[in-house]
Parts: sequence; structure tokens; C-alpha cells
Amino acid sequence: MLRFALRRAASALLTLLGVLALVFGLVTAAPGDAAALAARAGGNRAVAISPEALAAFRHLYGLDRPLTERFLTWVWRAARLDFGRSLLDGQPVALRVARALPATLALNTAALLLATLIGVPLGVMAARRPGGRLDRISGFVCDALFSTPTFVLGLVFLLVFSGWLRVTPLFADTETGLRGFLLPVATLALASLALIARFVRVCVAAALADPAALAGRARGERPSEEIRRALRRSSSAFAAMGAVLVPSVVSGSILVERVFSLPGAGSLLAEAVFARDLPTVLALTWCSAVVVVAASLVADLVAAALDPRTAREDEVTVPGVAA
Amino acid sequence: MAVLKKFALLAVVVLLAACGVRGKSQESVVRRRLDGEPKTLNPILATTDQEQIVLALIERNLLDYDEKLNLVPGLAEEVSDSPDHLVYTIRLRKDARWEDGSPVTSADVVFTLTTLLDPKAPALTRRALFDGFVKAEAVDARTARVVFKSAAAGRLDAFNLPLLSAAAWAGGDVATHPRNRKPLANGPYRLGSWEAGRTLTLVRNTQYFDEKPAPEQVIFRVVPETAPAFAALQTGDLDEMKLLYAQKKELDAKAGTAGAPRVVTFDELAYSYLGWNNRLPVFADRRVRRALTMLVDRESINRNLYGGLAKLANGPLPPAHWAWDASLAPWPYDPVAAEALLDEAGFRKGPDGMRRKGSLRLAFTLSLGMGSDIQRQIVELAQQSFRKAGVEMAIQPLEWAAFGAKMDAGECEAWAAALNLEPNPDLAVSWHSGQAPPVGFNPAFYSNPEVDALLDRLKTTFDREQTRTLLARVQALIHEDEPVTFLNVPLMKWGISSRLTNVKTSPYGLFLFWPGAAGWRTSATTGPIS
Repeated sequence: MLRFALRRAASALLTLLGVLALVFGLVTAAPGDAAALAARAGGNRAVAISPEALAAFRHLYGLDRPLTERFLTWVWRAARLDFGRSLLDGQPVALRVARALPATLALNTAALLLATLIGVPLGVMAARRPGGRLDRISGFVCDALFSTPTFVLGLVFLLVFSGWLRVTPLFADTETGLRGFLLPVATLALASLALIARFVRVCVAAALADPAALAGRARGERPSEEIRRALRRSSSAFAAMGAVLVPSVVSGSILVERVFSLPGAGSLLAEAVFARDLPTVLALTWCSAVVVVAASLVADLVAAALDPRTAREDEVTVPGVAA
Repeated sequence: MAVLKKFALLAVVVLLAACGVRGKSQESVVRRRLDGEPKTLNPILATTDQEQIVLALIERNLLDYDEKLNLVPGLAEEVSDSPDHLVYTIRLRKDARWEDGSPVTSADVVFTLTTLLDPKAPALTRRALFDGFVKAEAVDARTARVVFKSAAAGRLDAFNLPLLSAAAWAGGDVATHPRNRKPLANGPYRLGSWEAGRTLTLVRNTQYFDEKPAPEQVIFRVVPETAPAFAALQTGDLDEMKLLYAQKKELDAKAGTAGAPRVVTFDELAYSYLGWNNRLPVFADRRVRRALTMLVDRESINRNLYGGLAKLANGPLPPAHWAWDASLAPWPYDPVAAEALLDEAGFRKGPDGMRRKGSLRLAFTLSLGMGSDIQRQIVELAQQSFRKAGVEMAIQPLEWAAFGAKMDAGECEAWAAALNLEPNPDLAVSWHSGQAPPVGFNPAFYSNPEVDALLDRLKTTFDREQTRTLLARVQALIHEDEPVTFLNVPLMKWGISSRLTNVKTSPYGLFLFWPGAAGWRTSATTGPIS
């Protein structure tokens, strides 16, 4: 198990480096550079910026140095949590990220929690009578929610509850307190809820149809005990789904933050990508990649702990080759 | 019982607070929208609209534009130039002060210009206005002198310049200076607080030298999306926002309803156009370019997409500019005449209905930045019209940075864009052959020796009437050459809360002239504050 954990951790670290290198490559290869965009920041105004001024800007931020040198320098500094300065405002990137992360973390955590609290019982109830009325209704609602873009859902909520009914504030800030987070959390949770509920329904229904479950039922096992066992049998699949859900929630929050004017990491990432603010893009990628990779690692470890065969399968060696 | 009463009172207070009930003092607060957060409030580094909108209330310029776009005294009571136009003398107001009470001095002027011209400062946009700068020096505490190596007609516009306090900004790197988020004000308001990504609160600057603004506070809220902002305008959570055409129609329908926001419209110094890369063989002949213009039904676009609120553009200056030539009739929508022009230019229809001149097909790709629905619709209408006339146009939507990079490199075959002009724009930037990419902002690669010569003359023409005459000739020549298809001059539409009064407009918008938003009053603040 320890070898399995170490191997998974090493693989997670390599994945992290790979993701960073990929994002670095993509952003630098994308057309448009930060200097030209800074010169255009006034919009479509026709002002001639001399090539010398642009070159001075690039030199100021080290954009004229070789790509490999820039990437390695960045990785070396990032390892010490120094993410450099933003090309947009010259502020330390760590400070910008630290300002934006709390809102995003709060939003994502609350949304995942809410989605789990509603989605799991809903999935279980639907699984108990596959094809029943509840299963059909929840299936329809979940499909509708899953196919509705988060952006549209958020906008409808905002216009109905804040604009029309006026029961929630239009903006989440210190004045409005937690009430301001109700709609953003609900919007983000509903998108994940559909996925969770359908996934749990499929897993639990399969577990309930398992011969072991039938045997339990024949032994006169109570329904609650039956569900508990079914959930336990599906737990490694749930752990894997959790790891998949984290990145989708993180990406969904970019749109939700924009609709609800929340200054989170999602908005910051979108702004940084459009402005080719590479230090900020890399720092945020680092943060989200750490979360996603860590979630996958935890899912693998949980699955291995629940079903030791998983870890053993991973350690199968090629016949004839010494381990 | 007493405990219960106290508890009930407390509950009512908490409930009222939770419901966002506004006290009377809130009436002297103006709530404004920013569609993005300012990156800096360093006035010489600021470039985006959001930054300039906030700074317009915090910092006065040496010279300000009034609502007719004339330069009027700001921090400087006078800026005069020598007979050879090489030396500018700035005389500061005696009573101009920073928010800490210290006077605005010539040392601030020298510091600002020295910092601005330092290559280490990322002040790309403003630095461009000081081309030919030699030195700035303090003559006495209130007088500064700025020397240039060459005379330039538009030089005075460069002094529409805010200042940095030498004492506050001295030391450290200007690009990363902590003052960039905590500027020292000399205008009617000062920065009270800045809640990152959410709000910037400005409070009245008690040290301000001129008439104090009526509202006590201005709260800027960052609302990136238009739909929530529009909802907030109607609920009273915002007092102003730029409107889309559909939103204007909605507010028009509510006109007369008590408390409903009103619509303010005005012409802006801007126009939209379809650009043609004149270097390419398909666009080299001006008959082809004119024909393309005559194939676009701009009246119909105006009626259907702008609700009849746009004007037809006829050349490189929009109607709001003082030197606009109203006598130039826009090219008419005339598909028959357009097809005749294309025939005349040698592009004849083949058996497949598409036009060719020898082996050269009249086909090209038009690029546009993603995001503007109206622009997309205009381009699609043009595409249909072109196809009927045998012209093949492919549409390539691009992410904005990619679109900008392609324009800067001069690699667009054709493109759709809008251009915002400065109050006294240097047309050479867009239309002089020497400003073709990658040097300047002439992505059409337009080249006409007569226009070049006129634009060169304009650089050293200081007389306004002579300037008007030269500009009229430039407009006529460009109109004849039609290097791009000048489309429309859309009307700006703004939603303004019914409780705001004294809202004035200028071709430079609602905010970037003096007094702009500093002159606004709320229903609770009617008289001047001394």
C-alpha cells in the first residue's frame, strides 16, 4: 500500500509539471502578447505605440528571455510559492490569487456539499425503484439541469429572484453577507447535483441487483442495511467520481462568478487568459491542478483502502521481469 | 417584558439591515457600474475605460476637455507655448492641493513627465503623446517648462495630463508602486476604500480646490455582465450603465413611470467599419472597395440592428468631430451600380456566379473579434449581399487577443471593427502610409501620396481654420478612395437613475470631460457644497 501511495504521489507530481508545461506552452504560443494587449487596453483607440516602447515593456517583464529559461525560472520560484508579478497591474501574483481564492473555495465547497447532500439521497431513492415515478421524474429533472448551461441557469435565477421577486441581493458582498451567496451556490450545486444523483442512482441500482444484495434480502436484511451495503460497495466508484467532479465544478465556477459579479479565481483566470498575463495564468493553473491532482490521488488511495485489489492490480509486474 | 422589547427592536434593526433598507444618507451616494476592475489607479499608467472613469473623479488634469471638447484650465491655469511651439510653459493654479493638504507644484509636473518618459514605466499610451520630448524643468514652485525637439500641432492635447505627487510616488518602481492602488487625489473625490474585485468607494475630498461635488460618495461596483447590471439599474442598486439597444427599448417603454431610469443618448467620437487590406490584389482597385461599400445596405442595418439610432459614416471623422465634413454624401446602397463597378474593375462573373479577374477570384476572409452580436450580424448581412454579387467572403471569428495580434501584424485580409477617436485625433496614425503595420495603426495599408502630404502638413498647422480646410480635403480624398467601408456611427445609449440630475454629455462620453460625473447631483443634493 505504501509503495502504491508513493507511486501515485510521484505520478501526481509529474502530472502537475506536465499540466504547467502544457499551459505555459499554450499561452505563449497563442497569438497576441501582453505588451501589445497592454497598448490596446484603451480599447479600439487609434494610438501609435512605437516598437521601441513595446520592446521596453517586454524587457521590463522578462518576456524577451528564452522560453525554457522563463519556464524553469517560474517553476523554481513557484516551488517556493513565489509566482512573480502580474503583467496587468504589477502586483504580486500570490497576492492577487490569495484575494480571489477564498470566494472561489467557499463557493465550490458549499456547492459540492449542497449537491452531495441532495444528490446522494435523491440517487438512492431513485435507485430503490428503477423505472418508478420518482426515478422518472428525477431523471427528467436531472437531465434538464445537466443540459442547461450554468451561465443561463445563473442568469435566470438572478433575474427572477433578485431582479423580479427581490428576495435575494443582486450582489454578494460584505453588506449582504451569506444571503448574497445563496444563488451562486445554488446555481453551481444544481449543475453538479444532476451528475451526482444520476451516478449514485446507477451505482446503487447495480449494487442492489447484485447477487450479494439478493442474498441479503433473502436473509431478511432491513432496507436501510441493504442501502448501506450498496453504498459501501459503490464507494470506490464514488471516490473516482469525486475526482472527476472537482475540475468540472472549478471550471463551472468561472461562469457563475461572472454572472454574480463575484471576484473569485474563475474571473481572475478568465481575465488573465484574455490579457495573456502568463504569471497569473500559471499560478491559478498551479492551484487548480494541485486541487484536481490531489483529489485524484485521494480518490485512488480511498479506492485502494476500500478495495485492496485496486492497489495490487497496480503492482502487477510483467511475467519474467523482476519487480 | 423589557428584554422582549429590546429583543424585538434588535430583530427589527437586523431585519431592516438584512433587507438592505437605505437610510436617508444613502441618497447622497451615487452607485455606478464598472464592467471590469481597474488594474491601477496610477494616472499615468491607466489606460482602460474603467481606470479612466474612476480617475476622472480623483485626479484633475493640467488641462481638461469641456463638454464641447475645448481644452480648459484644470490644475494649470494656463499652458502656453513659445512662438516656435517647442517650449510649453505650465502655470499651475495657486490653490491646487493634494488630498493631504500639500500644494500641487511644478516639482510634481517634472516628476510626472520624467516618470512617464522613463522606459521602465509601462506607460505605453500616454508616452506616445510626448514624442520629441527633450526635458521638463521647474521654473518656480508654480511654473514648469517642457521642451520638445520638434513642433507638433496636437501637442496641447498631451497636457490633458493628470499628475503624480512627487512626494507620494518617489522611490520604488512605478509599475509596482503601492500608491498605484492608493492614489493621492487632487480632484473632487478621494479613494475611500477598494474592496478587490467588488467595489471602489470614493468620498468627497475636503482639500479639493474647486467647487465641491454634491454627492458625498460615489460607489463603483464591478459588474462584468450586462444583464445583472440592467436588473440593478431598475432595482436602484446602480444609478447608471451603458445600454444595449434592447435595454433602451425596454426603458423607453417604461418612460413616464415614476422612478423608472431614463435614457440619455449622444453621438460619440467613434465609427464602425469593414476593413480591406489594400495591399492585396483583390482590394487594390478603389472601384472594388467602393463596390463593396455599395453592396452593404447600411440604412437597413441602421433600421434593423440599431433601431434607426445610428448615423451613416462617410469618412474617417464622425459627425461629432468639429471638423467633420457634412457635405460628403455616404456611398449609396446600390447593388446594380456596385456590380457595374466590379465589371469595370475587371472582376466578371463566371459560370459559377462568382467573380474573377483572370485567375484572381474575388474571394477573401473577414476576421472579427468574438463578442459583438451586432458586428456579427452586420458581417453576415454583408456576406449574403456579397454572395449575390459574386463576391465570396468567409467569416473568421477570433478571440480578441488573437484578432488584435493579427491586425497588428497586418495579416488580416478583411476585418470588422470599430474605432474610437481622441478629441483631436491624429489621422496620420490610421491613414498615413508610413503607419502601416508593424509600425502604426494603418492595417488597411492605405497609401495615397496626397493624403500623406496633407497629414504631414497637419502636424505643423496650428491655425484651426487652416486645419479644418486640410482635414476637409483629407476626408474627401479618403472618401473617394474608400480604403475601408465606413459603416455607421452608433448612438451611445445610457440608462440613468431618475434621482440623478445635471447629467451632461459630450462626444467624449459622459465621464471624460470636465465636470462630467463630478457635476452630477442626486435628488437629496440640489445646491453646491462650499
